[in-house]
Amino acid sequence: MTEKSKLHNDATRNTDGSVIHADNIRKLYGDVAAVDGITFKVEPGETYGLLGPNGAGKTTMMRMLAGLSPVDSGEIMVAGIDVVKNNRAVREVMGVVTQHDGLDGGLTVFQNLFLFGFLAGLSWKDSKNRAHEVLEFFGLRDRTKANTYELSGGMKRRLAIARAMMTSSNVIVMDEPSTGLDPQSRNRVWEELAILKDAGVTVLLSTHYMEEATTLCDRLSIMDHGKILDEGTPDEMIERHAPKEIAQLRVAPASLRTVRDYLNEREISFREVGALVSVKGVNGDRPDLSGLEGTEGVQTTFRAGNLEDVFLAITGRELRD
Amino acid sequence: MNLAIPNSGIRRRSVTGLWLRHAVSFVRYWKFVITWVLIEPVIMLVAVGFGVGKLVGSVEDGVSYAEFVTPGLLVGNAMFHALFETSWNAYNRMDNDIYETALTTPITITEIAMGDILWAVTRSIMTVAGTAVVAALFGWLNNWEAIGIIIPAIMVGITFGTLGFLFSATAPHMTFLTLVFTLIATPMFFFSGSFFPISILPNWVEPIAWAMPLTAAVNIGRGFALASLDMSHLWSALYLIALTAVLWPIATFLLRRKLIK
Repeated sequence: MTEKSKLHNDATRNTDGSVIHADNIRKLYGDVAAVDGITFKVEPGETYGLLGPNGAGKTTMMRMLAGLSPVDSGEIMVAGIDVVKNNRAVREVMGVVTQHDGLDGGLTVFQNLFLFGFLAGLSWKDSKNRAHEVLEFFGLRDRTKANTYELSGGMKRRLAIARAMMTSSNVIVMDEPSTGLDPQSRNRVWEELAILKDAGVTVLLSTHYMEEATTLCDRLSIMDHGKILDEGTPDEMIERHAPKEIAQLRVAPASLRTVRDYLNEREISFREVGALVSVKGVNGDRPDLSGLEGTEGVQTTFRAGNLEDVFLAITGRELRD
Repeated sequence: MNLAIPNSGIRRRSVTGLWLRHAVSFVRYWKFVITWVLIEPVIMLVAVGFGVGKLVGSVEDGVSYAEFVTPGLLVGNAMFHALFETSWNAYNRMDNDIYETALTTPITITEIAMGDILWAVTRSIMTVAGTAVVAALFGWLNNWEAIGIIIPAIMVGITFGTLGFLFSATAPHMTFLTLVFTLIATPMFFFSGSFFPISILPNWVEPIAWAMPLTAAVNIGRGFALASLDMSHLWSALYLIALTAVLWPIATFLLRRKLIK
C-alpha cells in the first residue's frame, strides 16, 4: 500500500456524480442575508475555492456545508448525505479545518490527534496508529510530544489539517487555510494541500488570497455580499474579466502628480494603490505611456491580468479592503 | 463508515470521547489539580474538624461536631468542582475553540453537555471519595453506610454541572464567572447546613436555606454518613432530580445558542 492510498477513503458521490452540491442556499442573520442564494458543485478530486473579501459569507457557507450552522433554505448534498436533514452524518465523512486552528492547549500534539480520532469514532488502537501516520505524513513526527503552544503558526495550521485527516476523509473543507501565516509557512501548507489533492481528496477552501486561489484551485467562484458573482477556472475567469496586460508604474512621490496629469489628460483610466499605479490598455492594447518615458522616478513594468483584476472588475472593489 | 446515524439519540462515543479528553488533560496536570481535589478539602477538614470541633463538642446526641461537619464539607467541595468544571473550564473551552473542534466530529450539543457533566461527576466523586478516606482514618466516618455518600456526590456533579453551563454559555467575559462563586457557591457552602444545623437559623431564613440545592445534597450526604436515612432524604433526592430536569433544557438551549451560529 502506498502512502497516497492510505491517506483517504474512496470518494462517495452524490447521485449527480459530484461530491459537494449546494443548491440555492440562503442564511439570514436578522435581516441581513449572510448567504443569499448560493449554488455550486464540487466534483470528485477537485479543489474548489470560494474567493471573497472578509464578510462575503464564505465562513457561513462553509459552516453550513459541515452541518455546523443551520440552513434557512436550500439543499446541500455531500457525499450522498443530505446535510440539512442529517448534519451528524456529514461530519462522519467530511474533514473540517476551521478558521482558527482550535488546538487543545492542554494536550500534546499527539494527544490532540488521538483524542480527536477517538471522539470522531475510531477505536483506541486505530486512532493511535492513525495519529502516528498523519504526524509522519505532515512532517510533524518530531513534535509528537510537544505542547501545541510551542508550535509555530505554520505547524499549528498543519496540525489542524492533519487532525481533519484523522478519519481518512475523502472530502475536506478548509476555512482560510493560510490566513495569518508567513510566506514560508504558507508555501509549506500549500505543498501539503497539493499532496492531498494529488491523492484524490476533494477539497473546498475559502480564501481571500489571490495567489492561493490561483495556485491551488481547479475552479473557484468569486463571492461578495453572500452571492456568487461568477464561477470558473482561474484562467477562464482571467480571460473573461481581466485585461490581458496591465502596466504597473512604480512612482516616486515627487513624480506622482506628473503621472496623474499625464493619464488624466489622455483620459486613460488607472488606479492607485500606494506608490503603485496600474493602467490597463483599451481593447487589450498596451496603453500609450510613451510620454512618461524617461520621467524621473517612474519605473514601468507590464504584467498579465490576474484574479485580483478579475475581482476588481466584477465587484468594483479591491479584494483586500 | 456508518452514514445512517440519525441526529436524534445519543452517540455514546461522543460522551466517552469528550470525557476521555478531560481525563487525559487532568492526568497530565494531576500534580496541580490534586491540590484542589484532595489537599485543600483535607486541610479544611482538619481545621474545622479538629479546631472548631474542639470548641463545639457534640451537635446532637452522640454525634461529634467533626462527624457532623464531615459530610457537609465533602458534598460542599464536590459542588465547587462540578460548578468550576462547567463554568470556568467550559468557558475556557468555548474561548479556545475546543468545542468548535469537537463539533467537527459527529457530536451534538446535548452530547457535549453530557460529556462535560460526566466529567464534572467524575471530579465530584474523586474529591468526595478521596477526602472520605481521610475522614474515615480520623474516625469521622464510621458507618458502612457512609459509602453511600458517593450518591450525593454524583447528584451534585449532575445538578451543579448543569447549572454551571447557565453561566459559561451566557458570560460576556471571564470575570463575569466570579459571580458563580460569590453569588452562588460560597453562600450555599456556608448556609446549606454544612457547618451548622439549619434549624438554628431564624425561622424565616429556614425555607430559603432548604430551597438551596446544596442543602438537599448535604442532607442526603449526612443521612449516609450518620446512617440516619429517612423520608426527608428521599424528598431531597427528588428535589435535586426535579431541579436538574428544569435546568437541563435551559443549559442545552443556551449552549446551542452559544456554539451553533
